[in-house]
Amino acid sequence: MKERSVIVKENRTSVIVLILAFALICTLLCLPAYEFTSSIYTKKSGNTFVGDEKYVAVKAEVEAVAEDYRADGIEVTLKENVIERTNSKGKTTSMVSFSLDHTFTKSGWSFINSGLTSSWVLLGIILCSALSCACGLAGIVGSMGDSYNRLDGRSAAFRSASGYLALFVMLLVPVFFMMNTFAMSRQVKLFTSETITDGADEFYALLNAFLFDGTAGDNISSALSGLTFKNTYAAWGILPCAFAMMLAAISLRRGTIGHTFMRGLLYAFVIVMCVFILYPYYVMLVTGLRSSAEANDMYFLHIFPTEWRFENLKYIMGRGIPKYLLNSLLIAGGATCIALLCGIPAAFAMARMKFKGRNAFLGFVIMSQMFSPVVLLIGIAQLMSALKLNDSLVGLMLINAAFNQAFAIWLLRGTFVSISSEMEQAAKIDGCNTVQSLVKILIPMAAPGIVTTLIFVFINAWNEYTISTILISTAANRPITVGITQFSSFNMIEWQYLFASSLLATVPVVILFMCIEKHLTSGLTAGGVKG
Amino acid sequence: MNNNTLLKKSEPYLWLLPSIVLMAVFVVFPILIVFKLAFSEISKAGIAGGFVGLQNFRDAIALPAFKTVMLNTLWWVLSVVILSTVIGFIVAMVLNQKFRGRKIARAIVVFPWATSLVIQASVWNYIIKYEYGNLNNVLLNLGIIKEAINWRSSYQIEFIWECGVGIFVTIPFVTFCVLSGLQSIDGTLYEAADIDGAGFWSKLFNITIPLVKPSLTVSTVLNIIYVFNSFPIVYTMTKGAPVHKTDTLITYLYMLSFHERQKGPATALSVIGFLILCLCAGIYMISVLRKEEN
Repeated sequence: MKERSVIVKENRTSVIVLILAFALICTLLCLPAYEFTSSIYTKKSGNTFVGDEKYVAVKAEVEAVAEDYRADGIEVTLKENVIERTNSKGKTTSMVSFSLDHTFTKSGWSFINSGLTSSWVLLGIILCSALSCACGLAGIVGSMGDSYNRLDGRSAAFRSASGYLALFVMLLVPVFFMMNTFAMSRQVKLFTSETITDGADEFYALLNAFLFDGTAGDNISSALSGLTFKNTYAAWGILPCAFAMMLAAISLRRGTIGHTFMRGLLYAFVIVMCVFILYPYYVMLVTGLRSSAEANDMYFLHIFPTEWRFENLKYIMGRGIPKYLLNSLLIAGGATCIALLCGIPAAFAMARMKFKGRNAFLGFVIMSQMFSPVVLLIGIAQLMSALKLNDSLVGLMLINAAFNQAFAIWLLRGTFVSISSEMEQAAKIDGCNTVQSLVKILIPMAAPGIVTTLIFVFINAWNEYTISTILISTAANRPITVGITQFSSFNMIEWQYLFASSLLATVPVVILFMCIEKHLTSGLTAGGVKG
Repeated sequence: MNNNTLLKKSEPYLWLLPSIVLMAVFVVFPILIVFKLAFSEISKAGIAGGFVGLQNFRDAIALPAFKTVMLNTLWWVLSVVILSTVIGFIVAMVLNQKFRGRKIARAIVVFPWATSLVIQASVWNYIIKYEYGNLNNVLLNLGIIKEAINWRSSYQIEFIWECGVGIFVTIPFVTFCVLSGLQSIDGTLYEAADIDGAGFWSKLFNITIPLVKPSLTVSTVLNIIYVFNSFPIVYTMTKGAPVHKTDTLITYLYMLSFHERQKGPATALSVIGFLILCLCAGIYMISVLRKEEN
């Protein structure tokens, strides 16, 4: 048990961190974190070369306009953009466009009464962090000297609430940024290009008041059309602050704030890792269920499709995907059966019998675990066409079974060795022969190991791609891994269908793999690692 | 009686027979075919003729892309194996801690392992597209970047992306190999070290690493072989373009033999690859058999 004075000291640190973090969040919100640049005046001049008469004249004209703006107290910077082209006759033409850029900054705080949607998110951030700070203080100050397991229920609840609120703030911050920067400029684009006209006036009025203090007037549409946004890195500072708040609130549970910090880092690592791993699957999901236009749209704004197009799934059904899935199922199923039918007796002999050449066979098994069919492509192609097994599912079953054989024997042998042979011996005395004792006693006892092997071989065969591309020439015999490549040709890839069918090919295997995940470590240990 | 002992003696071999036949026909036979082809004259149509000695090997080495491809293969194997081993080790250390949601995290880590490489490569191919790729989209949305970035501006960078995807899909295997090693470590060792006042690093180098070394060896050797043989990632993402500059040995020999009608050099490359793998397999076998003796 820790000394009371130590606990008080640690709690005091927590209180300080909590207050400091909250103060920092408030400061960061007041900093001018958002930078806007709008071109308020543009002038294009064709047939102009830099430095010639026309250029000088136009530039003077633009500078005069700039002076006007400056006289009105609006800071502008002049930018010029030269486009040079050489036409077919070898003559160079040049165009210069001048623009007056007005750059100004806004603090996060100023969004609060902008009337934009993001103001609600900002309100959420402010309220939640304030509440988190308050809850944390209420939870800690009331019980400065108590260790965590002796806290009264109310203090514990306050501290937990504070932690969760801070976590929520951490989630809200990226949402807020997204709404302020890219999402807003996308919305602006939709209005200025007149793709959407409903509500344009209200939107313009809002932005006019918010960005230009109402000075833009009727020019608002043109002022907005060249608007760019950027949030400075100061804005991201809110995230670590909220993180620190969370840690401070819950620190007593882990002992000191240092421990809690390590713990927090652990969770942060796991979360970042999981997000990273799941990212391609998210892309697969949202792209697979989008329309073609949205899948190829760079300015696609939404995290999820605007409408989930399950028609994509229906469409790929007409492109042979069910047949390919069935082929894959047959190939993987057949390969698994063959691999197990050959592998179980072999593993049994290796685990239970002593004979000459046992070690040689073991060596061969380990060695052939190394051979991948890919490096032997040419040999396999030749062999299969000699056996008339190219372009047939049976051929793929056999190849997959053969190349997974070593691994299957290895895994199964490990499982069999780990099971004591007493039961079989007892059965033998009762008059069972070897086959009966294998089927009736060993196989049921080794079921988990066998299932692991089975799923492993199945997944390997299901995901196999290279051999299938070479051996299979008839479309009707393709497995799914080859089948999905029909959506990508040289000039065009139908991403949405590619990913819709990828989804169908992935989901079952991932689920299967998750089923054996628990046995995976012990399976690998039994087979490849421990020997 | 005599018959009976013969049967008894041959029984183990009968049990092994199906497995031996299967492997002999579909594993050993292709090896022999490849070796035979490598030393035979092969016409453009792919029909094997008489013995030509090392001519095919000479042709293979004289191919303009040979050096690039070999270097690429070296980079590919080294970068993917080393980085995925380091990252996989860290991930395994983290997953070996007790924390809430560990089961879910472990299940998620398995995902890339369970996904077909073609699919994984296609998804990343889409993610890093310049015009409409999802990475640009997400970064723009978060306001991290202001303008779309061309993530694949040159073939070197594309090759780096391929290595990245290779690492991404290899990590789970390393993680689970190391995890199985970590789980077999006796917890009392750490307690004893704690009492002795050992810090994190000293525990890592004096207890953890020596004890998971066998698992690490196995995962590394197996990885070298899997990564060396990996075909779909490079084939899906760049197809070796431009002119074999991003090819690895495997994709190159595929291109040579099935698209460019150069079966002779392709079989020679195949034999070279096979011998490299045999070397790795030999090292692996020795390490496993040595443990078997213990």
